[in-house]
Amino acid sequence: MAKVYTGRDGVMQLAGTTLAKVVNFAVSSNLETLETTTLGDGVRSYSPGVTGYSGSATLLYYKDDDDNVNTSDLLSSLIKTGTDGVSSSDTVELTFRWIDGTDNNDIKLTAYITSANIGAATGDIVRAEIAFQGTGALATASIGS
Amino acid sequence: MAFPAHEPTGRSFDAGDYRYKTFSAQSGKEVRILYGDKRTGMKLQLQYANIADTAADDFITHYDEMRGGFDVFTLPSEFRAGWNGNEDAIDAATGNDWRYESPPQITSVRPGTSSVTVNLIGVL
Repeated sequence: MAKVYTGRDGVMQLAGTTLAKVVNFAVSSNLETLETTTLGDGVRSYSPGVTGYSGSATLLYYKDDDDNVNTSDLLSSLIKTGTDGVSSSDTVELTFRWIDGTDNNDIKLTAYITSANIGAATGDIVRAEIAFQGTGALATASIGS
Repeated sequence: MAFPAHEPTGRSFDAGDYRYKTFSAQSGKEVRILYGDKRTGMKLQLQYANIADTAADDFITHYDEMRGGFDVFTLPSEFRAGWNGNEDAIDAATGNDWRYESPPQITSVRPGTSSVTVNLIGVL
């Protein structure tokens, strides 16, 4: 059955667990192109280079009935004490899903959180804005099926 | 093995000069003595961006066969790709041949793809 997806169909998961109060997310893939045009050519030509994935998401800063904050694991990948900074083990497994009944269209990747912004403003809800950079190959890419 | 017949993605040519010496008097008068009747010392830089590694290694093979900068050689017509002027204008001048001025530089771009820069000098 034909379907136009909306924001209600979007789900963001962290390590397989759906995150609550996600306001928006965006995933971007990009391909580096390598120019192979030679001096005799009149039209540019390219070879595929390296692909990559990155994106961003905004979540409401939300504490559930069990006192769990929905953004804890995301923010703690970047905002941490100590002098070691971020290590190679500080990756997160993110799944971005578009749901059609029982049909899930997923992009699943491993990523580093590259920026995290959280603040507070009078008369506004606190939001956490994160950006991520994918590392390695996608674990799942079923958005076309 | 002849010089690899790949079309370059970049080319830079320096025309060289005739061999002469300049003497300047205190008055400012300049005297020049010509020591040769042939232009030489032309320089040619060829760039091959984003080519297959299997094509890039042709330059090392040729560099080896020329014993580095020792032996001289001519270039195939492919090096002039895109040039519509007189063919001789950007080649080694009469009486000259090319030799390597420095070793070919290979930069790896991604698996299986490299960029090569070759610097040649024309010698009599």
